[in-house]
Amino acid sequence: MKEITYIAPESISEALKLLTKHKGKAVIFNGGTDVMIRLRENLIQPDYVIDIKRIPGLKEITFKKDGLHVGCCATMNEIAEHADVRKYYPYYAKACASVGSKQVRNRATCIGNIVNASPLADSATPLYAMDAVLLIEGPEGKREVPVREFITFVRKTVLAEDEIVLGVRVPYIKGAKGVYTKNSRRKEVDLSNVCATVVRTGDEYRIAFGSVAPTPKRLEKTEKLLNGKKITPALIEKAKQTAVTEVAPIDDVRASKVYRLDIVQAIVENSLLALGR
Amino acid sequence: MTQDGKYTEIGNSLPRVDGKAKVTGAAKYAGDYYFPRELWAQVVRSPYPHAKIKKIDTSAAEKLKGVRNVITGDYYKKRGGLYLADKNFLAYQTVKYRGEAVVAVCAETREIAEEACRLVKIDYEELPAVFSPMEAMKKGAPLIHPDLHTYRVAPIFHPVPHTNISHHHVLRKGDVKKGFRESYRIFEHSYHIPHVQHVPIETHVTTALYDTAGSLTVWSCCQSPYAVRAALADSFDIPLNKLRVISEFVGAGFGSKAGTTIEGIVIPLAQLNPGRHIRLDYSREDEFENAYVRQGMYARIKTGVDKKGKILAVENEFLWDGGAYTEYGVNIVKAAGFAGAGPYNIDNIATDSYCLYTNHPVGGPYRGFGMCEIHFAIEQNIDMIAKEMGISPVEMRKINGLRPGDTTNTGEVMKVSGYQDCLDTVIKALDYNRKSAQPKDKHKIRAKGIAAGWKSPSQPTDAASAAIIRMNEDGTFYLQTSAEEIGQGSNTVLTQIAAEVLNVNPDRITLTSGDTTANPYEWQTVASRTTYCAGNAVKLAAEDLKEHVLDLAQIKLGCAKRDIHLERDDDHHMTWVVATNHPENRVPISTFALGLTLPDGSGIGGPAIGTGRFVLPNNFAYNMEDSQSPKPVAFWTIGVTGAEVEVDTQTGHIKVLQMISCFDPGKTVNRALYDAQVEGGMIQAMGTAIFEELMLKDGRVLNKNFVDYKIPTADDIPERLESLIVEYPEETGPFGARGIGEPVMVPGAPAIANAVANALGHHFDHMPITPDDVLEVVRGKKSKSKAKR
Repeated sequence: MKEITYIAPESISEALKLLTKHKGKAVIFNGGTDVMIRLRENLIQPDYVIDIKRIPGLKEITFKKDGLHVGCCATMNEIAEHADVRKYYPYYAKACASVGSKQVRNRATCIGNIVNASPLADSATPLYAMDAVLLIEGPEGKREVPVREFITFVRKTVLAEDEIVLGVRVPYIKGAKGVYTKNSRRKEVDLSNVCATVVRTGDEYRIAFGSVAPTPKRLEKTEKLLNGKKITPALIEKAKQTAVTEVAPIDDVRASKVYRLDIVQAIVENSLLALGR
Repeated sequence: MTQDGKYTEIGNSLPRVDGKAKVTGAAKYAGDYYFPRELWAQVVRSPYPHAKIKKIDTSAAEKLKGVRNVITGDYYKKRGGLYLADKNFLAYQTVKYRGEAVVAVCAETREIAEEACRLVKIDYEELPAVFSPMEAMKKGAPLIHPDLHTYRVAPIFHPVPHTNISHHHVLRKGDVKKGFRESYRIFEHSYHIPHVQHVPIETHVTTALYDTAGSLTVWSCCQSPYAVRAALADSFDIPLNKLRVISEFVGAGFGSKAGTTIEGIVIPLAQLNPGRHIRLDYSREDEFENAYVRQGMYARIKTGVDKKGKILAVENEFLWDGGAYTEYGVNIVKAAGFAGAGPYNIDNIATDSYCLYTNHPVGGPYRGFGMCEIHFAIEQNIDMIAKEMGISPVEMRKINGLRPGDTTNTGEVMKVSGYQDCLDTVIKALDYNRKSAQPKDKHKIRAKGIAAGWKSPSQPTDAASAAIIRMNEDGTFYLQTSAEEIGQGSNTVLTQIAAEVLNVNPDRITLTSGDTTANPYEWQTVASRTTYCAGNAVKLAAEDLKEHVLDLAQIKLGCAKRDIHLERDDDHHMTWVVATNHPENRVPISTFALGLTLPDGSGIGGPAIGTGRFVLPNNFAYNMEDSQSPKPVAFWTIGVTGAEVEVDTQTGHIKVLQMISCFDPGKTVNRALYDAQVEGGMIQAMGTAIFEELMLKDGRVLNKNFVDYKIPTADDIPERLESLIVEYPEETGPFGARGIGEPVMVPGAPAIANAVANALGHHFDHMPITPDDVLEVVRGKKSKSKAKR
């Protein structure tokens, strides 16, 4: 049987030192809701788990003029229930509130959801839509990576083994309105078979979909088609047709490819209608 | 019962007698028992659906520190099984499904046992596998049990030698050829029902101790301690007086714990380690793959009707995917063969129900015992015919539904039948004849659907039950049975029955069960038979004790026992024995607890104890050629469920808005528990109708977790759930009661399917009906048939 050493550093620098020391043999343990499953299914076999939850300051959620900052240890429920998130980014709050069950959301973090890099990560599409930026620290110092460049493939990111994502900055755009949609078999305690965020600022649109490609994805052609135009039934129809050319969903146990393509169209239509003409 | 003939307990909603123990954690389940110096068992499982075991190398595992034993199928070659002895606890020579136990390890800790499992090396030679009952039926199909013809089998089953057919059940009533000849129209429809899983909250767990004096004790989460005892005694040649099975509470069974499951793996290990407890726990993944599953099934129904819609003939065929072993599954196939044309008055029926071996997980009993599966076909078939004939589904059922005096599929004359009353009640409560009000959202369509169902207990015609009731010195009682409390409420109902007979407050009675050493025989806690069978035994035991008390009371009160009655006095927490004509002449019932002391100081009678013995009084074996018998089953429980759904044509989601059921329990012993059973049955049925399916590919379970095996959550439960009752007493039931636990699930899924069909104008030939399926129809394509053979 495999023994795993649990370490709970109390500072970022200590955590970074541990990651460097045990490079390749350690896994960062935040909410743990993905790590525990991957351990149980034998998909990862770390020698060390480094629990970052005891590091002070990483749970903070703050809103300033330049945007929202969410610390890496803020849980889904903390984000979903935060007054500023609900006020300025209600679709992001809704996305976080749609993850798993209440119990899971009490532990799971948004940053964990992003680092896990599942194509259907519920909290990813609002961040994609808003061009959020991840704040990363490693032995060589800090760097910032846009979320759209962070996730590179199914469960692949640009994060190095000795780096930690400390948080995410979500820019604030005045007047932006957004809609988050999750389509799943069950309303509660389920994974998305398609999820999406559509944000509108004036005549400008940002459309992000999850579970339709190896990574969450912005539908740039569809956005371009819509930008600057007045929403009409004909335009919505065109947007739906364009959207399906930009996604490449698969058949799996959760849904078929054709079903997902239908849902993509339904979400495009409903979101545009909800955001007004 | 009071002096003016009113029930004091029967019909009340007595709160569960085990409620406090369960809520506070005092109730002990098999997994709650931990013992000093316990050893842990773990199992190596087959990665192949069908393969020859060429070589097993256990040497590395045996050398691991802390490993006590490593055993293979060679260690214990004897096959066992409830109805058909086709199963080894550890695979012998071949593996027959992916996940089958091949090697068992016993070690000082669970972790060491798991590590040892990884060190076992097994060479397999893959064999051609069979993944559908149709393939299994084909001539020249790979034989999964080549020695089937040599297996021991209960005489009511028909394995076909040198095939994969482990049971072919034949029912013939009347003359179907003539029926079809006289028919105005003939319809043929096919359906498919996938495998589903029971998903009990408590996964399987067992601990065994072979003590140093040579007795074996097994702590097991089983529904039927006596059946487990019998199976284990037979398999391991242990005398029954040296084998004790303990199973006080079960964290839900739904059938998955009906037979012997994982106990057989630990017993050889216990015998190798006298004095040490051996424990085996199932993980949730194990539970999905290696516990019983509900068998998959393909149905084909050919129906002939006259101009008015009266069914003249039914010819149907059920092909059951029994999995690698069908020791229990054969009986489900038989039950389906008995009831295959449904609760309808049909003169000409020919049913063929086949149990087929495949290289799929092992099929076993699941709430409904085949009825949920066949009714998904039968009740959609009724609606489809009605529509094609241009008559309403209600009318179709009114014309054909069983009435008293009609004959069943097996030729039994129905003395009582609540079918028509249940139908009327549900139609009214659901307002079925009024079309659903449509929501504003243009993507949503609402519609209603109904379905009926029936079920009889599938048990031997001589299934037996016993109960003992003892009075304590203070006038309280111990009631002993081996009916198993699996969450259905049997402890409460049985307590109410004893309390009714003895006119005592139920809180004066403590029920003990789940220990074969201490409590008397019960065949099994399955088949919705407990209220009826165990209930009868308890009633007889209480009446026996009452007789004893009245005999002595004649002396004490100085009057004849016809003039003595028992009177409940809740104000004083006691029961009086009263001279009816001189009520002031009374003594507490406790006066007779240890017998009666006479004026001269001598005693008479001795401790008050009542025994009840019940065996089905009037069930007769059926004719093997045609399944006909004047009375082959104890009773039929009949009912109807109605559902209203909202189908979203944009996303394909089906929301069940309301479900209403009406059943005929004969006499409701506990209304709250009846409602709970009905509501649970409807929700479980809804799960199978729109969510649940064990997805299998090449014998592999693709969704062995709660992420991808969906069951309803509280959020999916319809806004309106209603359970209604009509009561036509069961002649031989205790106070007229018959069983309802399983029947209440039976019509739920087809009711939803019929409602969905009424919304979309399309009947799906399979379940679950997924959003994918719905959108396929919305897109204008015909939905993919999953019932094709």
